[in-house]
Amino acid sequence: MPNDLIYHTYLGEDGKPHVSPGPILEAGEDLSIFFFNEINRARPQVHSLLLRVMAERTLTAFNKEHRFPHMLVFADRNQVEKEETFDIPSAARDRFMMEIPIVVPQDLDIMESLVFDTRFHDVDNLIAGVPEDILEYKNLNSFAATLQDNISTSPTLRKYALDLWHATKSPLDYEVKVSGVDMNRLVLSGASPRGMAMLLRAARVNAWLNDREAVLPDDIHAVFHETIAHRLVFSPVYEMRRTEIAREMLDGIINVIAAP
Amino acid sequence: MQPHDRIFSYVYQALIALCLIGFSQISLAKNELPTIDEQYLNIEISDPARDAGYVIGDILNRKITLTIKKPYQLIIESLPIVGYEHLYRGKKSGIELVKINTKIEKNSASETYALDLSYQVFKTDRLVKPAALRAESLRIRNTSSKEVVQYKLPAFTFRISPLSVFGQVNLSQEMYPFTPPLTLDNDNVIFNLKVLAAALALALLGLLYIFGAHAWLPKMGAPFAKAYRDIRKMSDSTENLKQAVTRVHESLNKTAKESLFNHNLDAFIARNATFLPVKKEIEQFFGLSHQVFFEDSSQPLTTEDPKAWLLQLCRRLRDCERGLTPDPLQGAHA
Repeated sequence: MPNDLIYHTYLGEDGKPHVSPGPILEAGEDLSIFFFNEINRARPQVHSLLLRVMAERTLTAFNKEHRFPHMLVFADRNQVEKEETFDIPSAARDRFMMEIPIVVPQDLDIMESLVFDTRFHDVDNLIAGVPEDILEYKNLNSFAATLQDNISTSPTLRKYALDLWHATKSPLDYEVKVSGVDMNRLVLSGASPRGMAMLLRAARVNAWLNDREAVLPDDIHAVFHETIAHRLVFSPVYEMRRTEIAREMLDGIINVIAAP
Repeated sequence: MQPHDRIFSYVYQALIALCLIGFSQISLAKNELPTIDEQYLNIEISDPARDAGYVIGDILNRKITLTIKKPYQLIIESLPIVGYEHLYRGKKSGIELVKINTKIEKNSASETYALDLSYQVFKTDRLVKPAALRAESLRIRNTSSKEVVQYKLPAFTFRISPLSVFGQVNLSQEMYPFTPPLTLDNDNVIFNLKVLAAALALALLGLLYIFGAHAWLPKMGAPFAKAYRDIRKMSDSTENLKQAVTRVHESLNKTAKESLFNHNLDAFIARNATFLPVKKEIEQFFGLSHQVFFEDSSQPLTTEDPKAWLLQLCRRLRDCERGLTPDPLQGAHA
């Protein structure tokens, strides 16, 4: 239930009811990462609460407004399992910057390690082995703002990004086709303005990671699927094949639109 | 002379004329030879198959096999003569014997004469008229008694048709072998032919101009060949440099059949192995393009004389698209 994220009640050793802060409130303003496991098993009311926290980074509880300026939300879901799940609506998916598919590695060495290396069998132990304090999470917001302000986008790139945006809405205008799909009925809604903004934020980060001061089309391509695919709203008849259709459509868009 | 004297004179002359006619018929009857007894003669005649529709120039063939038993013998001189034209009612019949072949077979009891007669029609009329291959009269001698008798070949009657229907005649619809070919008025046709030939020549010249300017040689109209010509015409300016880079991008995209970037360059080279020698330059070109279009324009370009370099790149890409080994790099460098 939604309240489970904020607080939980229990009977103490003294036999009296007690109220303790829930997972979100527990860390207070220092909350940097909130990981939601199997988000599609939560009820829509929980989604709603979480999305509000993600958008506003505030929460009112116990007659007090709690702020979470550094909070990053990660969530996962199992796409195969459908029973007793609640699909995340498109507006909710739009709040997430990226959707990254996690697939079983195809590399035989990695596959062998996952099976035979006991290090991977105890997840807690594995995480404990990760060095701490690599990132000063409190500085991430200001650094992100600095990064976003200093990585430039040229007029040519802006036009290219706008063309991509338009193509997600009207793929047929650019003669983008997906095999076995009626393109006239496929797209109900393309990428949102928030989605395109997220795309450019991610592209700027990619440019920075590659020691550049300007965004290139290659930076956009590097994050295009991850930032846009989950935001596309398809006709319900194609929702079951969303992953493959979105991949083929976005590939087609990148292949068709020239820059410059 | 008194009128009654004149009438008397007419009647007198008429009586004299009637008497003369009577005497001449009597004398003619006296000159007629006797006819041979049929038992001494056997005849077979093959006449033309049809007996109507003959026109001027037509030839009628008649074959006669005449067997005369001894002691009778045909007087060869009595056979009809080539060129002789019969008279019919005092007028030339217009049917002329043009050829006669005679074969004679003799044996102890008889002589057989195979006559092959060819008559040609030399008359015409506006209406259908009767005509005949007349009954030729043959003379036969009795070799014992020296008596001369005659035998008349049976006549063959037929009808001569006019060359065309009487009345208004359109010769072009009444063609006949002796009519000279009619000439059609072909002035308009020749004029149209000339106009069309001129139009065709103009069209061919136009095509020659269009294709000659762009694709005279194989692959001359291919993307990089065109881009090379376009860039060569451009003057040195920042705007033209952008245009030149765009032209190379367009050519790459057209050749790759998709938008070509760094991330799909390897796949492009794998599909188009002829471009392998210029892979490094294509990557270099992407670098130049990034500088021109996406990066800080106030910074100097890392490529010296970018136009010359682009021209050289285009030339090498053009060689690749023609399946040739590109020229080695010269002069300008990145």
